[in-house]
Amino acid sequence: MISSKRKLDAVNKNNDILNSGVDLFVNEPPDEEDVSDQDEDSSSSDDDNVNDDGDSDSSQYSGLEEEVASSSLDDSSDEEEQGSDSDDDDDDGEDLMLSDSVDNIAIGTNAKEPAVVDEYEQDSSDEEDIRNTVGNIPMEWYKNYKHIGYDIEGRKLIKPEHGDNLDDFLNKADDPNYWRTVHNRLTGQNIVLSEEDVQLVQNLLGKTHPTQSTEEQYAPWVDWFSSEVMIHPLSNRPEHKRSFIPSKWEKLKVGQMVHALKMGWMKPSKTQEEQEKEEEEQDDKFYMIWNEDEETEISKRYRQHIPAPKTSLPGHAESYNPPPEYLFTKEEEQKWRDQEPEQRRMNFMPQKFSNLRTVPGYSNFIRERFERCLDLYLCPRQRKTRMNVDPEDLIPRLPKPKDLQPFPTTQSLVYLGHTDMVRCISVDPSGQWLVSGSDDCSVRVWEVSTGRCMKTLTVKEKVKGIAWNPNPAVCLLAIVWEKTVVLLNPGVGDKLQLSNTDNMLASQTQAESSADSKVAVSWSVCEGSEHDQGYRLKLTHAHDVSQFTWHSKGDYFATVMPDGQTRSVLIHQLSRRRSQNPFSKSKGSVQCVRFHPLRPFLFVATQRYVRVYNLLKQELSKKLQANCKWVSSMAVHAEGDNVILGSYDSKMSWFDLDLSTKPYQTMKHHKKAIRQVCYHKKYPLFASASDDCSLIVCHGRVYNDMLQNPLIVPVKVLRGHKAEKGVGILDCVFHPSQPWIFSAGADTTIRLYT
Amino acid sequence: SIDTDFSGNFDFLIDGEFLRVSLDRYLEQSAVSSETVLQIEYVERHPAPKPEDSLNHDDWVSAVHATRDCILTGSYDNTLHLWTKEGDLLHTIPGHTHPVKCVSWINHEAGKEGSFLSGSHDQTVLLWHWKELGNEVEAVHCCRGHAGSVDCVAVNQSGDKFCTGSWDKMLKLWSAELSPTDSEEIMDAEDIPKKKKKMSRAGMTTRVPILTLSGHTEGVSGIVWLGEDQVFTASWDHTLRLWDLQKAEQVTALQGNKVFLSVAYSTRSGLLVTGSADRHVRLWDPRSSEGSIVKCTYTSHQGWVSSVAWSQTSEHQFISGSYDNLMKLWDKRSPKAPLYNLVGHTDKILSVDWSIPSLLLSGGADNQLRIFQYEEVTV
Repeated sequence: MISSKRKLDAVNKNNDILNSGVDLFVNEPPDEEDVSDQDEDSSSSDDDNVNDDGDSDSSQYSGLEEEVASSSLDDSSDEEEQGSDSDDDDDDGEDLMLSDSVDNIAIGTNAKEPAVVDEYEQDSSDEEDIRNTVGNIPMEWYKNYKHIGYDIEGRKLIKPEHGDNLDDFLNKADDPNYWRTVHNRLTGQNIVLSEEDVQLVQNLLGKTHPTQSTEEQYAPWVDWFSSEVMIHPLSNRPEHKRSFIPSKWEKLKVGQMVHALKMGWMKPSKTQEEQEKEEEEQDDKFYMIWNEDEETEISKRYRQHIPAPKTSLPGHAESYNPPPEYLFTKEEEQKWRDQEPEQRRMNFMPQKFSNLRTVPGYSNFIRERFERCLDLYLCPRQRKTRMNVDPEDLIPRLPKPKDLQPFPTTQSLVYLGHTDMVRCISVDPSGQWLVSGSDDCSVRVWEVSTGRCMKTLTVKEKVKGIAWNPNPAVCLLAIVWEKTVVLLNPGVGDKLQLSNTDNMLASQTQAESSADSKVAVSWSVCEGSEHDQGYRLKLTHAHDVSQFTWHSKGDYFATVMPDGQTRSVLIHQLSRRRSQNPFSKSKGSVQCVRFHPLRPFLFVATQRYVRVYNLLKQELSKKLQANCKWVSSMAVHAEGDNVILGSYDSKMSWFDLDLSTKPYQTMKHHKKAIRQVCYHKKYPLFASASDDCSLIVCHGRVYNDMLQNPLIVPVKVLRGHKAEKGVGILDCVFHPSQPWIFSAGADTTIRLYT
Repeated sequence: SIDTDFSGNFDFLIDGEFLRVSLDRYLEQSAVSSETVLQIEYVERHPAPKPEDSLNHDDWVSAVHATRDCILTGSYDNTLHLWTKEGDLLHTIPGHTHPVKCVSWINHEAGKEGSFLSGSHDQTVLLWHWKELGNEVEAVHCCRGHAGSVDCVAVNQSGDKFCTGSWDKMLKLWSAELSPTDSEEIMDAEDIPKKKKKMSRAGMTTRVPILTLSGHTEGVSGIVWLGEDQVFTASWDHTLRLWDLQKAEQVTALQGNKVFLSVAYSTRSGLLVTGSADRHVRLWDPRSSEGSIVKCTYTSHQGWVSSVAWSQTSEHQFISGSYDNLMKLWDKRSPKAPLYNLVGHTDKILSVDWSIPSLLLSGGADNQLRIFQYEEVTV
């Protein structure tokens, strides 16, 4: 009860001050109800309305309410009050926020209070006691003195009388103010706390505002000087007279506008209806949404605008007074002078001047501007999109040679015995024997497995070609020199086979038909010493024979006579001892002919073209463009659909006849002319022999399905031969059953690579 | 501890392989922890074979086979040569019309008589009878039937049969009896025309094979007997085939990937070695069920391995002759390097033989038969 009474007093006191004091606060509401009234009047928002906890205090203020209400300007309706009250709970947070500012105002008002008589006597604030000026020292130091310190003028402050414990006890019993008497250690005086002080202490203990009551703390915020226009003026002063005189300048302005309207310079603003109509019209207009996407040429050019290259900003070195580390030492200067202008790191020499005034004119100015103009003139005008392609991706993915085994890798055997370059070699169908023809006018028969020369035949001329009959049942060898083709029984291998071959040839003698006079090839049976040597048949041509090839069945064979004009290619049939000329016209100098292994086709290679003739229909079936200058050799795959061509310009071309008449792949691995190309009969291998003494073996797999193109991978370069007179390897041939290759070189050797 | 005097004469074995590097390196290479216990076996090192003699021929020596004290060689000049093991030429035997490719002894009784075989490019095998007392050599039988050069011949243990392999892909079994069988006499009397009889040498009968086995797709290059009924053949078609002669059928085929040029079988270890055209010597175990497994590969030669032969006394040692002019003595426990390189030939070695335990024989394309003395290690 005591506390509430005191509080009431304090509040009253505050209110007095407020009411009696400053004009401005004349309307300040002392409590919430008035505030809400005021709010209502000023049509301000109710958000700042202060709530009430609804404790006992509110009832005590009821008296006050009447008093203040009398001074308020307007009465308010009760409904509104309640309405504002209903908002209370929501606004707690904001109220708390506001409390500080309200406090400050309240404290300010306290400080100005003129009613306080002696501030120092009753002051119990935390402010430093200014009566005792000894400072902040322990007061025990004055325990044994009569004084307790000094005042501001240096006079001793005498300790006030202190009663003993008994007095103290008596005081306790007698003095009604004992409970609010405190001892000031600094002055040694006993101070009786006033009601306000006690209230303050209690407020502090209760953790509320020390001086203000709850209502005061949460006084509503009144936005007096808001933008809201009040219906009632703050002052009642009437308007000044001059405000009724029309403005001269405005009149002038209006006059101008009227003139402009008259003249049609200015159009009166449209009425609202007209404006709406126009807007509607605009809205109705439809347009292409994506119209903007099609860029015009100009906008494109703008978008791809390339700004002119900027000159680099001047650095420290270009300063007229550069830091010393930018200045050239003597060596640097010498170096700079020695360098070409293009190589210089910077195109000037840093120089130091004491001030800007002493800087001479820049001698290079014109040239520098000119160079800048050149830069601008030559700078790129177009964006170039650079292809960002990994070069690895462009290389076709080929299997590793290691995975494509078997193929010949090392030189295993050397067949020594010839004394001049070995021009041609051939392996018998079983793979046991190798024959070679050489420029030393000899033909040698070798045992493949040991390198042993089993037989040597001396002929009259340099051997141009040699070919073993591919028919495994027959042991017959064709040897070509000059105009002669000799069919020879080599006398190696199966005796029964040899005798069968002889019998076959002997039996055919009867079936011999008269030679075609047009063809001019004479067949003759060898007898006597020649027969003993193994010679069986001799074909004498009209011109030099350069090449000989067997058909895969072994009955037909073809010879090439480059000088034979229209009779440059002749086809002979062994069983009927007949020769015929398939072509009536010459289509260029024939380099090489091959039979198709399965079908009646003949491949005729001239210098630049390969013509494929159908022998049955007697017509040209295909014409392959070799893409090289001079075809040297040709080989037909065992399936017959693929052909490789070697050329003297060191190119090898693979043709897929199903695919195109142009090369499927052209390989240029050799450095010099290719002399011979060959296919393996069983393994997917082919090889090319060249004058650069290398033999390149490639993996060439042909797929049976038409969808997949042949896979061609170079797998091995075989070396070993030495060049003689610019000629390297003259002939190469694969072993019929093993992945081995023989090569005949100009260095008189034949080599076997396995 | 081993005496320092002998330390050079030992070889050390770890896990059945010769230790050819320092122990540190070995542990490093085989990634064996140095904490583990390693069993190291030591054997006395074989002394190097000494070149003893070189027997000169007129042409390439293509085949060599020895019995206890006689050496038989076949040559490319179509002749056979009979030598004592001391190097004295006993006989030069003409008879073939083409180079001799293979020779083999059937039996030889010292001082009395002997018989041997020779196969040739002329597609025949001649069975010779040698009477040592009168120093007469006589071709008793001409074995005809092959349609290609006879590249290999092997006689069984008891000496009554032999097998031949030929370039015509066939394997043929023949009787090795000296006395002509009944069928031969009949054949002689009836089948052979008079003209041919004239051509054939006096006193020689024609013998036909007991059995012909086909299966190989290329020429047969090597043949060995495994027992009385089984032969192993090596071929150019990259296979090794085991044949049962009793049933006359192929038992198994071991697939290699290179041409086989020679094969040898050790009765002591029961293992096969083959020489290939890819310069490797491979060790096979015909008894293992998964037969295609190569037990070991010996790589040191630089050329084709034309010939291999096992030791008669050691189950570990074999020799190989190659086209790189070297004969190598191998221990099967040392796959990385041979025990010894036997240098001497100046051209391709075509044939090697180790039938006499103390002699290593090699015949080559330099017309020489080289003899190396080999000292047995007495354990």
